[in-house]
Amino acid sequence: MSEHVTMQEPSAEQDFSLNLDDLRPRPVEKRTFSGYFMPPRHSFVLFDPDKCTGCGTCEMICSTRNTEKVAPASASVKVVTDEKLGKNFTILCQHCRKPLCLPACPTRAIEKGNDGIVRINKLFCTECGLCTMACPAAAPLKDPGNQEIHKCDLCEGDPLCVRHCPEKALTFTRGKAFRWIKGLRWTIQLVSFLLLVIVFIGTFCYFKTGSVSFACPTGTLQNIASSGTIVLVSASSALALLILTILAGRLFCGWICPFGFVLDLVDKITPKKLGWPSFLKSRMTKYGVLAGAIGGSYALGFQAFCTICPIGTLCRSYGVQSFFKSAELAIVPALASLEIAQRRSWCRYFCPVGALLGITATLRLIKIVIGAKRCKKFSCIQCAEVCPVGIIEADQLREGISPKIPMTECIMCMRCIDRCPYDAAKIRFRWQKAVPGENRT
Amino acid sequence: MAEGGAGRKQNMNLFQQFFNMRIGVVDLSASSAVIVPLEADQISSYIGGATLNRSLFHQYQDDPLVFGVGPLTGSFAPASSLLVATFYSPLFEKICHVPFMLRTGPDMKFSGIDFLVVKGAASELSLLYVDSGTVQIFPAGNLRKLPIPDITRALKRDFLPFQSAIVTGPAADHGILQATASVGARGSLDKAGLASRMAAKNLKAILFNGIGGLSFRTDNPDQGKELITRISAEKNFSHRGFTSILTKLDGGKAAGKHLRKLRKKNMACYHCPAQCMTHVEFIRQDASQGEGSIVKGGLLLLDHTGWMALAKKVGTHVLPLFHICLQSGLDPESVAQRLSDGGTMIEWLFAIEKMFPESGKAQIAESYRPTGEAPGKTHTLFGGGIAPIPPSDVWGKRVALSMILGICPLFLLLFPQISETDLLTFISQREDVLKTLEDRIPSLIQTLLAD
Repeated sequence: MSEHVTMQEPSAEQDFSLNLDDLRPRPVEKRTFSGYFMPPRHSFVLFDPDKCTGCGTCEMICSTRNTEKVAPASASVKVVTDEKLGKNFTILCQHCRKPLCLPACPTRAIEKGNDGIVRINKLFCTECGLCTMACPAAAPLKDPGNQEIHKCDLCEGDPLCVRHCPEKALTFTRGKAFRWIKGLRWTIQLVSFLLLVIVFIGTFCYFKTGSVSFACPTGTLQNIASSGTIVLVSASSALALLILTILAGRLFCGWICPFGFVLDLVDKITPKKLGWPSFLKSRMTKYGVLAGAIGGSYALGFQAFCTICPIGTLCRSYGVQSFFKSAELAIVPALASLEIAQRRSWCRYFCPVGALLGITATLRLIKIVIGAKRCKKFSCIQCAEVCPVGIIEADQLREGISPKIPMTECIMCMRCIDRCPYDAAKIRFRWQKAVPGENRT
Repeated sequence: MAEGGAGRKQNMNLFQQFFNMRIGVVDLSASSAVIVPLEADQISSYIGGATLNRSLFHQYQDDPLVFGVGPLTGSFAPASSLLVATFYSPLFEKICHVPFMLRTGPDMKFSGIDFLVVKGAASELSLLYVDSGTVQIFPAGNLRKLPIPDITRALKRDFLPFQSAIVTGPAADHGILQATASVGARGSLDKAGLASRMAAKNLKAILFNGIGGLSFRTDNPDQGKELITRISAEKNFSHRGFTSILTKLDGGKAAGKHLRKLRKKNMACYHCPAQCMTHVEFIRQDASQGEGSIVKGGLLLLDHTGWMALAKKVGTHVLPLFHICLQSGLDPESVAQRLSDGGTMIEWLFAIEKMFPESGKAQIAESYRPTGEAPGKTHTLFGGGIAPIPPSDVWGKRVALSMILGICPLFLLLFPQISETDLLTFISQREDVLKTLEDRIPSLIQTLLAD
């Protein structure tokens, strides 16, 4: 009570008018350190079109909460039936991670709470309907009677539509509890890095113990080109990585490559990307680099690309014994800095090792499929966002089309599988045609 | 008398939560539509649905069509989807009550009226638009002789917004008595000639813009859920799709076999846990899109007896012929009677085409009578399209109960364990009220069945 508060007399010129920022401060996206690694999982209502019979119980029960009477047209959920195809859909707010309705609202009446629920503050809502137009699902529904905007607020954590759906077509879920693939991948990447870079220095390029040998396939190709001879032992050593690629796709790139691990770490500290100019964004470039590496080796008479290969230099130069001893040290940070432009830029556009594995991956036995019919499409697209090489077409997902994933580009990191809360992303044998959500009648 | 008066007043207050208390009376001859109040006495005496329809039918002379809902229509009671059309059937030559399900009942109620009486005949083809407690008459000449899917498409594209529609197809325009009124493009259980009666009045369609609402009773949501959970838990809850209903009917199993290889999706009416309809997909050639072009299509199967009759006659060709019946608004059962045994597809298509005379009555009008007479004359009383699900001794009473309360009759037939009291508790849980209602219902059922 000893504090004294001095009150100043307002001057005549002082402006006391309130503006929108005073009433409704602009929403600021808060990102915590842990959020980078494990984004918060909020509950949402998941719709299964296969189970829905179109009975409209969700609408009637929802309307009782909105209007205290049974008035399906005033509900925050709408069942739409395609009479020709016999398919039912629900228009229901998905509480997107980055809601488009939020910036569209001119009065900032829409806010996303810490619980992940996107709400409309009726006090500020002017019923202009811009949120409905901005939402890809048109989920804020305009009441045709009184023109009010109704939007699902998940009944504050216990959705009535889920409770009353007789077919259990609606489920309230938080998605997967534990993303085990992520943990396993980081562990294997770390162990691989330690083994290849710190412990067994230089073993990625060539390694031999007893009768077992291993060689980098790109290095082997350059060796053949530069020397003009095929050493069978060396060539067979290079097969190990190629066989792995045939069996499991470019698993090496996503799980073992030490430079890939470095790039993933750099990505974590540079979340904002500058982007590449469009003329540089050609995935064919890496095949050109591969051809150039082989041609250069043939012309120069030595393994030309190996001298600047980031994987090789990382494995050769950064070990305990060789640290600070080589000029090659600059190569890794230089190429890792490309991460500022785009995730795994090196892997996407330039890596000749990835190019060779990509060519081999045309013979792969497995593939990754994403069933757009099973997922929330536009309001999620987490698979497209987490894909480090950007090969999942978000636009196709938005349209409800299952994207075709080019497995020659896929590094099999399985982030899409791990992240998808709906089990819509799966590994299948390449001859299997079934896509999650599309094989049921 | 005083006690009776007090009881009636109490009942009125009770039912006011379940009705808009409005009757739309349309005189097509005079192109006028008025709203008259639904009197408390009318509800107290007839409760609603078919019995109140019947009362209005007799009250408004001049051979009216009466459309109405029950107290539970649109409520939390399961399968509360019913709209009843009461009219004098030109086929059965008696008063008939035809059920319309899907969402027609709730949409009629939520459009602000409980009953619609259509008198007279319009000078030109018209349609009725019910919205926010009003009824409007619009010309509909542009819809004449269009296939039903084209009619619904045209209405959705060019007309005011609506949720449900009862429309008639080209068969009705041609004066065929066996024409059926269809809910949108999905068909119906009308086999009593409602469409031909509508056509006689130059009435093409009735559109309901059900954007309003009613409070019903606030404690009912969980009650409805409990009842659905109870019947779901029972062993005989295996009603999944159109075929499961067919298997309950004599000769239905064979008719169900024709659906085996089709891609199917089971559907349900408003707030119904039983899926007695199935949407089937098919592929057909469409000459209008160019030679050899294939079009993916689909239709909703809800007319069990119609499918059975047609399947019995044409075997594997049942789906395309059923589709033609739906498009033209013809009763498949009557079509089946018209087709020859062991004919070819071309012959059958020719026979259907012959049913559409350029003018005048169709040839089959006199000869046709629905075959599904298993549960007795009551089958035709309720439109002739409700599947004769056994046991036949209670069939009439169960259907009549559903027609009064506004519950889907198929639902009540499928679940005999649901008692009258189970349903009446959705109106009130007070024992004295329940007792009054329970005493009243049997006499109303008898009145209906006596026609």
